[in-house]
Amino acid sequence: MERPHSLYFRYQGHGQLVAKPAAYVALTPGERLLNRIRATVFGRPLSTEEEIGERLSKKKALAIFSSDAISSSAYATEEILRVLVLAGASALLLSVEVAIAIALLLTVVSVSYRQVCRAYPGGGGAYVVARTNLAPIFGLIAAAALLIDYVMTVAVSTASAIAQIQSVVPAVYDIRIEIAFVSISLITIANLRGLRESGNIFAVPTYLFVGLALAIVAIGAIRIIGGTAAPMAAEPDAVSFGTEGLGVLLLLKAFAGGSVALTGVEAIANGVPAFKPPESRNAANTMTAMAVLLGILFIGLTVFAVQFGLRPTLAGGPSIVALAARTAFGDGSALFVTFAASTALILFLAANTSFNAFPRLAAILAEDGYMPRQFSFRGDRLAYSWGIVLLAGVAFLLLAAFGGDTHALIPLYSVGVFVTFTLSQVGMVRHWWNERSAGWRWRMAVNAGGAVLTAIVLLVVVSEKFVDGAYLVVILVPTLVAMMLFIKHQYTRSNRELAVAPDLVVRAPHREQRVVVPIPGLTRAVVQAINVGRTISDDIRAVYISDDPVSAADVRTTFERQVPGVTLVVVESPYRALSGPLLAYLELLDAAWPPDKREPITFVVIPEYVARSWWERILYNQASKRLRRVLLGRPHTVLVNVPYRREDPALFESALGAEHADQ
Amino acid sequence: MSEAHRPVFHRAVIALNGGSSDARIVRLVAEQARLTKAELIAVHILEIDWTLPLDADIAGDSDEVQRVLDSAEAIAEESKIRLEPVLLQARDVGAAIVDETVERGADLLVVGLPYRKRFGGEFAIGRTIPYILQNAPCAVWVVRDPISEETK
Repeated sequence: MERPHSLYFRYQGHGQLVAKPAAYVALTPGERLLNRIRATVFGRPLSTEEEIGERLSKKKALAIFSSDAISSSAYATEEILRVLVLAGASALLLSVEVAIAIALLLTVVSVSYRQVCRAYPGGGGAYVVARTNLAPIFGLIAAAALLIDYVMTVAVSTASAIAQIQSVVPAVYDIRIEIAFVSISLITIANLRGLRESGNIFAVPTYLFVGLALAIVAIGAIRIIGGTAAPMAAEPDAVSFGTEGLGVLLLLKAFAGGSVALTGVEAIANGVPAFKPPESRNAANTMTAMAVLLGILFIGLTVFAVQFGLRPTLAGGPSIVALAARTAFGDGSALFVTFAASTALILFLAANTSFNAFPRLAAILAEDGYMPRQFSFRGDRLAYSWGIVLLAGVAFLLLAAFGGDTHALIPLYSVGVFVTFTLSQVGMVRHWWNERSAGWRWRMAVNAGGAVLTAIVLLVVVSEKFVDGAYLVVILVPTLVAMMLFIKHQYTRSNRELAVAPDLVVRAPHREQRVVVPIPGLTRAVVQAINVGRTISDDIRAVYISDDPVSAADVRTTFERQVPGVTLVVVESPYRALSGPLLAYLELLDAAWPPDKREPITFVVIPEYVARSWWERILYNQASKRLRRVLLGRPHTVLVNVPYRREDPALFESALGAEHADQ
Repeated sequence: MSEAHRPVFHRAVIALNGGSSDARIVRLVAEQARLTKAELIAVHILEIDWTLPLDADIAGDSDEVQRVLDSAEAIAEESKIRLEPVLLQARDVGAAIVDETVERGADLLVVGLPYRKRFGGEFAIGRTIPYILQNAPCAVWVVRDPISEETK
């Protein structure tokens, strides 16, 4: 038996077909070429069934989810030093106290987030927590802050990764924007190909960075204890000591700068379902391990920098972690180069984590109706292509606008992060209050403490970094929220307008119909359009619009002889316009309709040629395109395009069943 | 299954009956075929009774009949094996399966056997399987369904 469907479809049940790859084959040579290029760059399309759900062990999860948080130790110390250096050499000594204060904050935040891991085994992003426990508007504020946070992660991590390379190869400074473009493009392509956060890819650079950074801290500790730690000679391009007074404000500014160390801490709470069972407990323990590691590295590197007198450098100079590595391992040593490479790699991986999180959040928002629906569609490779491309574009523009300078970008970073922390913690307080499960009192107290602390830090960060760029985030968050509310309003309205009442049973229509065929003369395309019109209704008329009465008379003679039974209306158009007179004629028809009868549906049947090449598309169908534009959306009007393929005359006539009139 | 005992076949015909055993036997044969890179042909026979002409378009109109073969094809694809689906109309299922096996030059025929009992509790093998076992020229695998609680 023949199975004609089998090339393109697979039956899955009664009246239910599933399309096979052959159904997606491109029809034109241009599309085929595009598909080949896409397959080469992005890989062959994957079916939905091919999605791989990898469950992560704690070790792999630590590498995957912590690359963002741990990598921030590569620039957090430097942010403190850059502020305190303004108050002279002695002020730098206070960096350790500032770092310890930030580490305490890290402890509170990570303990609070352990609660989120346990309460939301399905993944407790700040958006979900705030939307569920507070009002939807707070969910949107958290979502807007998170979206900004993800963009900033890409921009800051990429800029910082390039700064690490530049610490080894200073010449890189001049082409940092180009390198940023190439690296963001590569990450984008890898993610559009459907790069999975495979544990092994992440584990090597993350553990290499952690191992070497711990080695730097250990070497520093041994030398400090042994009394051999001495301040190093300042770099030639080191920032000069300032003469500002060391006040509370400067300390708060240093604290605000260093709090960037906390970015990325929430990643584990967002990814609880990716853990092996018991998911919540494993995620909570991984969170603790990550916080301990980050705390040790952050305080350790800060103590190291202070004890060895490391000073931040001007733009283009080596970073503080690079200087620390140079001091510990020796300039140009293999370990120094390996550390710089692993730092750059972990930072690129941190950028990559946003490529996973941003599109996923955008997809959730799109499913909830707060972002355009395209963001929830997955591309050929099961990746949320729209989100990935948008993230890459915005992050690169931001990076280029700030000249690829990590320090210039950071003020924009912390605000979004602390908005997210605060809303998430407040949401958790509400969660425990509503749930009142065992131990709810102390759990609520932990989250409440976290909420108060992060809210205070948010105020400090906004006030201290406002003029440096934080004002942009203060403007952007409400703008994004307003945009999302507007989109939601639009979708809600259109859903309401398109909804079919559940108790409505749709019957066959009984409205009268009439057909109008605008014609440019008598051609085969016109004949085909008229015959299509005849199948719709017997009330059919062809309309010929012309500025030349003589040619109109000729058309009428020919038309009436060759197409009997169809009325031809000639509309003279002395001003040579086409669409205006046609519209006016349709209005006239409407006006002539008996007022006691319900208005009919007017089918405007437009004859068209099927273009065989790109230049035919320019030569033909221009008038019909114009008519379509004008008529689209006219009340009670349906547009029908009848494309005509230029077959041979015999085929045309046999298909139409036409007779040759006697000449 | 050890290397020495692995059945070597190059072309297998899988007879599908539209029941629950189809998925099991296709998966089983596809896994084996992947090791030997064997060719698979899934045959579904639609029995046409004598009141209708043999060429009456029964199969073409039925989504369910098409689904039987399409599901088998999908399972084989999961195992990265190509499976040729064949739909036949015949007066006798057993004879049609054997004929197709001979015509295709298959060296293995795989059939599923639902676990059924006759009235009175005796195991019912039907008449198709005995016919195939007596007449198929190649090796025949019969894969019986597990005994479910209902059929015990």
